[in-house]
Amino acid sequence: MYRLWYYFRETFSSIWRNLSLTMAAIFTVAISLALVGASLLVREGAERATAQFQEGVEFIVFMNADAAEDQDLAIRDVLDNSPVIASYTYIGQEDAYEEFRNLFADKPDLVNSVSPAVMPPSYRIVPSDPSAANVSELADQFASQPGVKEVATATEAIRQIDDFSTRVSQALLVAAVVLVGVSALLILNTVFTAIGARRQEIEVMKLVGATNWFIRIPFMLEGTIHGLLGAALAIPALFVVDKQVLAFFQESDAVPLFRGFAVPEGFVWDTSIWLLIIGGTVGMIGSAVAVTRYLDV
Amino acid sequence: MIRLENVTKVYKGDVTALREVSAEIQSGEFVFLVGQSGSGKSTFLRLLNREEVPDSGKIWVAGKDLSKLRSWSVPHFRRSMGCVFQDYKLLHKKTVFENVAFALEVIGQSRPVIRKNVPAILDLVGLTQKADRFPNELSGGEQQRVSIARAFANRPKIMLADEPTGNLDPSTSVGIMKLLDLINRRGTTVIMATHDRSIVDSMQRRVIELDRGVVVRDESRGIYD
Repeated sequence: MYRLWYYFRETFSSIWRNLSLTMAAIFTVAISLALVGASLLVREGAERATAQFQEGVEFIVFMNADAAEDQDLAIRDVLDNSPVIASYTYIGQEDAYEEFRNLFADKPDLVNSVSPAVMPPSYRIVPSDPSAANVSELADQFASQPGVKEVATATEAIRQIDDFSTRVSQALLVAAVVLVGVSALLILNTVFTAIGARRQEIEVMKLVGATNWFIRIPFMLEGTIHGLLGAALAIPALFVVDKQVLAFFQESDAVPLFRGFAVPEGFVWDTSIWLLIIGGTVGMIGSAVAVTRYLDV
Repeated sequence: MIRLENVTKVYKGDVTALREVSAEIQSGEFVFLVGQSGSGKSTFLRLLNREEVPDSGKIWVAGKDLSKLRSWSVPHFRRSMGCVFQDYKLLHKKTVFENVAFALEVIGQSRPVIRKNVPAILDLVGLTQKADRFPNELSGGEQQRVSIARAFANRPKIMLADEPTGNLDPSTSVGIMKLLDLINRRGTTVIMATHDRSIVDSMQRRVIELDRGVVVRDESRGIYD
């Protein structure tokens, strides 16, 4: 009990004495861990966005408006019997016209220029294997069928979102790793300074027979506290990233796919716990290096 | 109690501090180490404290062969001895009481034990009235008393003193010597390195003289020269 009290008293008085460097160390940890967390969130968000899309991957077979009935039946026959098609929805000319009217409600001239009779009926198709390669292969097959006007696939959009999020999260991760290294060095230096400030005390401690761990523990606690406080500061930043940045993508109309860019709150909390673990570990390692290199006990 | 056998210590740059030194000190003895600066007195004490290790030869302290002492057990070994220095080595941000208590605190004594023992030790060195003062408010002699109190706080079997009166005037030095004599009479072996001729001559205790790292004289009731 007395010993625990001693460790905490020593640790906090040392932090207080060394406040400006301590703050620098804590904020560097906070910034680097916030980047680590942001990178994890972006990656998770991207995985969810594309996963959601993949579940419902649709490629759309547009028929000619004047396609013969037997051409239409032939397509339907393939869709009904093919094992590679999970499900499909038929959008008839009336439905397509309805959609078109909704989409261009603010352009009555355009709506008036068309009628249900000129709208191409279409099949929205969910293949059983949603991989991009498979989708484009199926699309090619349908495109060559008689009566088919064109086939639209979502593969290009998927590739874009994957690309984008991979790049963003990789860039964040590289910056984060560098900064985590910088924070470890800064903690090392802060603890080194703390050791220097207490040289005389340490000398006396050794003289009267304090054990090595007794001398080391307050310094290692100090470094660990830097890491943990930094992580604690990074956690609110994580929630800001979740609420603001990811929400921005979700509400953005520019890329409809990004609407799936959501991360559940549970994942943010899990990430927070990881940040605490990383912060504490970095702090402990940084201070342990300082203690073994400069303490000479 | 303490035995050195053919101990040689060479510092970096081929400075030989001690050469083939042998000596034996019994429990309860009071021993003066005399000799000029650089004769090896401090090295002698630092070897006993395991601050230095000899390059050859063997040292036994309190039944322990120091060459077989593992580094992790050095702290526990040091608890059996107190050290006093010319420059006191007090902590200036702590009061007299706290300086003495610190020695007990860092070896894990509980607060009730500290509260009971520190006043008794301060009484022994005659500083009860100054328990709440800071070192820079005290005279040199008083500071040295605090340092002795700290060294004695753990009731060590051995007390090593490196020029404890080196910074003090003669009359103050007498007080310090009386204190060390009192501690010696309570059963603690005292080994003191000194330049102070009058102290050595008046105490009439054992004298070991070193000259350039070699023992040149060892008399049981000696004088300085």
